[in-house]
Amino acid sequence: MDTKWKNIKKALGFIIFFLGVSLTIWNGVQLSKRLPGRPASWTPGKLFSEDYQHSQRFRNHISNRLEIFLTIAAGGAPSGWIYDNGWRFYSGDTFYDDRYYDSSTDSITEDYGQSWPGSFHEQEAISEYGTFSLPRDVEWDDDEWGYDETYRPLTDEQKEKLVQQYFSAIAGDKNLLYSISCDGKLLYTNSDLPTTEGQMQLPEGYNFLLYFDGEKVHITKDGTELDIYGDGYYRDEDNDWYVPGYHNFPVSDDMKNTAVCIAAAKEPVLYTRGISRDSGYRQEENTLYWLQYNLRASRTLLLRNLAGLAAGLLLLFLSFFCRKQKKEAARGIARLQGKVWIEVKILLLFLLLYGVLQESAVTFFNSYGYDVWQEIAWMYSDYAYISPELIAHYGGAFLSSLSPLFWSILFWLLWLLVNDLRHNKKIWRHGLTAKLCHTFSAREINQPLARKMAHRTAILSGAVTAYGILFIAAASLLSHANLSRDVAVGTILLCILAVFCFLPAVVLIGSKNMKAARDVDALSKRIDEICGGDYGNVYAHGSGSSGSGGTSPGKAECPGGSSDAVYRPSPDDAGNNAVRQNGKTGQADSTALYGNHDLGKTMARLEDIRQGLALAVDEQMKSERMKVELIANVSHDIKTPLTSIISYVQFLKEEESLPEHVKDYVKILDEKSQRLKNMVQDVFAVSKAASGELPMHMEELDFGKLLLQTMADMDEQIKNSSISFRTELPEEPVMITADGQRMYRVFQNLFQNALKYSLDGSRVYVTLKTDGTMAIASVKNTSHLELEKDKDFTERFVRGDKSRTDGGSGLGLSIAQSFTEACGGQFTIEFDADLFIVRVAFPQC
Amino acid sequence: MSECILVVDDDREIVKAISILLEGEGYEVLKAYDGLQALDILASHQVRLVLIDVMMPRLDGLSALLRIREKQNIPVIILSAKSEDTDKILGLSMGADDYVAKPYNPQELAARVKSQLRRYTCLGDIHAVSRMDELRNGRLLYRTDEKILYADGEPIKLTAKETGIIDLLMRNPGRVFPAEEIYRRVWEEDAFASENTVMVHIRRIREKLELNPKEPEYLKVVWGIGYKMEKH
Repeated sequence: MDTKWKNIKKALGFIIFFLGVSLTIWNGVQLSKRLPGRPASWTPGKLFSEDYQHSQRFRNHISNRLEIFLTIAAGGAPSGWIYDNGWRFYSGDTFYDDRYYDSSTDSITEDYGQSWPGSFHEQEAISEYGTFSLPRDVEWDDDEWGYDETYRPLTDEQKEKLVQQYFSAIAGDKNLLYSISCDGKLLYTNSDLPTTEGQMQLPEGYNFLLYFDGEKVHITKDGTELDIYGDGYYRDEDNDWYVPGYHNFPVSDDMKNTAVCIAAAKEPVLYTRGISRDSGYRQEENTLYWLQYNLRASRTLLLRNLAGLAAGLLLLFLSFFCRKQKKEAARGIARLQGKVWIEVKILLLFLLLYGVLQESAVTFFNSYGYDVWQEIAWMYSDYAYISPELIAHYGGAFLSSLSPLFWSILFWLLWLLVNDLRHNKKIWRHGLTAKLCHTFSAREINQPLARKMAHRTAILSGAVTAYGILFIAAASLLSHANLSRDVAVGTILLCILAVFCFLPAVVLIGSKNMKAARDVDALSKRIDEICGGDYGNVYAHGSGSSGSGGTSPGKAECPGGSSDAVYRPSPDDAGNNAVRQNGKTGQADSTALYGNHDLGKTMARLEDIRQGLALAVDEQMKSERMKVELIANVSHDIKTPLTSIISYVQFLKEEESLPEHVKDYVKILDEKSQRLKNMVQDVFAVSKAASGELPMHMEELDFGKLLLQTMADMDEQIKNSSISFRTELPEEPVMITADGQRMYRVFQNLFQNALKYSLDGSRVYVTLKTDGTMAIASVKNTSHLELEKDKDFTERFVRGDKSRTDGGSGLGLSIAQSFTEACGGQFTIEFDADLFIVRVAFPQC
Repeated sequence: MSECILVVDDDREIVKAISILLEGEGYEVLKAYDGLQALDILASHQVRLVLIDVMMPRLDGLSALLRIREKQNIPVIILSAKSEDTDKILGLSMGADDYVAKPYNPQELAARVKSQLRRYTCLGDIHAVSRMDELRNGRLLYRTDEKILYADGEPIKLTAKETGIIDLLMRNPGRVFPAEEIYRRVWEEDAFASENTVMVHIRRIREKLELNPKEPEYLKVVWGIGYKMEKH
């Protein structure tokens, strides 16, 4: 239950983190796109205003209209030039100025007066545009207008037609009322809007009125007149109205008599005109409606993004508090990741990135379309075009066109990567390739060298063949190019020739190598045998296998057979040769066989070494055995007279009638004979232990208890000396495997040494420490004699004092060392100034 | 009548030393200097115990032992310079009753001879009688109802704690007891620094019942584990 709740907590912590990051990235990216390019437009009043008339676009629209109206009033056409591209057309500042309808993708891309870059196609309402189509009567006649894109001034007739078409297109849009008069005569209007000066009566539902009286523009909004000109100078497109009447933007003479009145509806509505001639209805121009619609929609989106961003940041803040759970969850995810093959990971990564990038690229090319390719083509055709600015421009455009989905996925991919790298060691190790490699190499390791070589040669041959095929393919491809037939055929032939010359060479070298490899195999096998302690004479089994080696030349090639063949020493050659020639049909004598071996010499040398080694080992064993025997015999021979000595000294001791000084002599005799007895026993023991002939009774025992028992056993001696013991042993048992009796002897010797050689009144420290694998007992004492630096105290008959006058055989440490090592422990001696330290280490059970 | 002991060794001084030692203890000593001589004496004299060396001319000790065992069941103690465990085991398995390594400790040798003789003469056949309240182990006998320990038939004086330890160990011969357990069961207190206390008591008991306290045969330390009563 508890773990379940823990898991839920972990998941919760991670979900908070996940949502926080995702929301922050998503909305941050969206916002960075939605925010107007110019910081001047970032004021909340403009960004969040309900009133569309506050927007920059509305201003641009109105000032454009005014400009067109003034142009028309002055006798011009709506545009100075026409660029007709089939269905779509662009004409200066017409009602199509801010809209671009692409029927093929059903999406609208808007240039929001540079203030609102980015597409709105995710917004469902915009699909309303889909029903919008160009009025039929704006379709231009190719014959009339020509189809080339060169600039041509319009004729009066054309101008008039254009003006009429323009007004017929915009007149139906009652959201924007207008009246244009010249010299007091009404020219164009779509309403009964009064044009007289000062009489600014607005109809119901309209709250914006622009009046141009021939000199200046007056704008009234909601009954109050706006200050348009400010200090009278036009500076900034963002803050100033782009209308004539400034000191630096005066009204031209043509406009002096013109009066224009424009009114905009407070809440624009959608106007639709029914036309019987065409099939269906057609929407009026409705720019203001869509303007308001889009503004509101984008405002909603902006608010939504802001809210999302705030929520994301809040979640991130919260996730800071449950970072522990998050961390655990991340570890869990890493554990899952660890099980996935690296190949799958890479594949998934590329698929995901490819998918998302492609989606983003589609968007990008839809918005920039043809331009990009053209620019790229230019960039490549003319190096002058490649400039950092250009790359930065398109790069920036591309980056900003990438969807938030892309950025989120990118972030999470990176997060997963980092998570994987952090928690899983060597992620590339866990994969199909690695596994295959491992399997192959593991299998290879166990194979003999010859097999490995064969394997490698096969791979090499395969590679060469593949190269050859590639070469030929390349050559045949070349023949399709501009090369003449002869040259092409020649190239192909050359390639084929090259491959067929190379392949035999590879095979030849491979087979030679194989031979050498077999020799190395045999050699290493022999070395292994020698290492394993088999110094056995090859002469012996050489004759046995010679029959099988000789029966067929093919069989002699197999590793076992060849090793025998190779190791057949030269004196044996003649006989061996005879067997060979008897056994098989003619071919190859053995001298040729030897001559062919790359490693023949090395093998012979190894054989020499083996023989030398065998000899040396034999000698060593023999001398060791002799030594032990000698010591055993000598000690036995010493013991017999010693028995008499001890016995009769005993009788002398019991003799009461002896004078006092004779009793002293007897006492000395007694002591020395006892010492001699101990020494004889010690010499015997140490020589046996050193030769490994000491019988051992290994059992599991408590190291600490052994030390305690030994000290308890020697309690009397310790108490009778001026030296005190300090112990530091672990509470719990420290189990080792050793011969208890021998180890008792080891520590008895060590403690006796400590008692004998310690400074009077000093302390002996006995400690036992364990690190889980080794148990180390140490005995530390302060020597009362100066310790000689270069003395090996474990050497036999070495003692603390040179004079050898004290008791003891001088074998104490030597016995301790050989017994410890015989039990499988380590015995080390160390000293620092007068501090003498002995360490006895055993592996723990 | 004093008991007759045969001492066999090719080293005349050793034979002499042993005879001095044993005669001092009140035994009658017969001497032989090789195996055949020993067999001759055994055939013609009533001998109660044989002390025999292993390495001797004409007939070595082990062969002589085999020949003795063909006819007689008297105690035989091997006296040898070979002090290895393997030699001891070999000698004991061939029918010797005890094995003393040279150079021996005279007092110990005398004690061993005494012990063997007492077991042979006084106690008779070991397997004959076995009372319910008697625990027998080699030369030791423990009467559980009286809580008295006998070594070679002689009662041994033990303190209360020592008797407690002997009681515990004699009832479980061969079993190894850690010091803490002995302390807990005999002192009936929680074990604290028990090792020293137990060891001191064990040593004192050894002094009383072992022939050579330095090389105990019965009360043994199992180093690194505990203490036990060796089974004989």
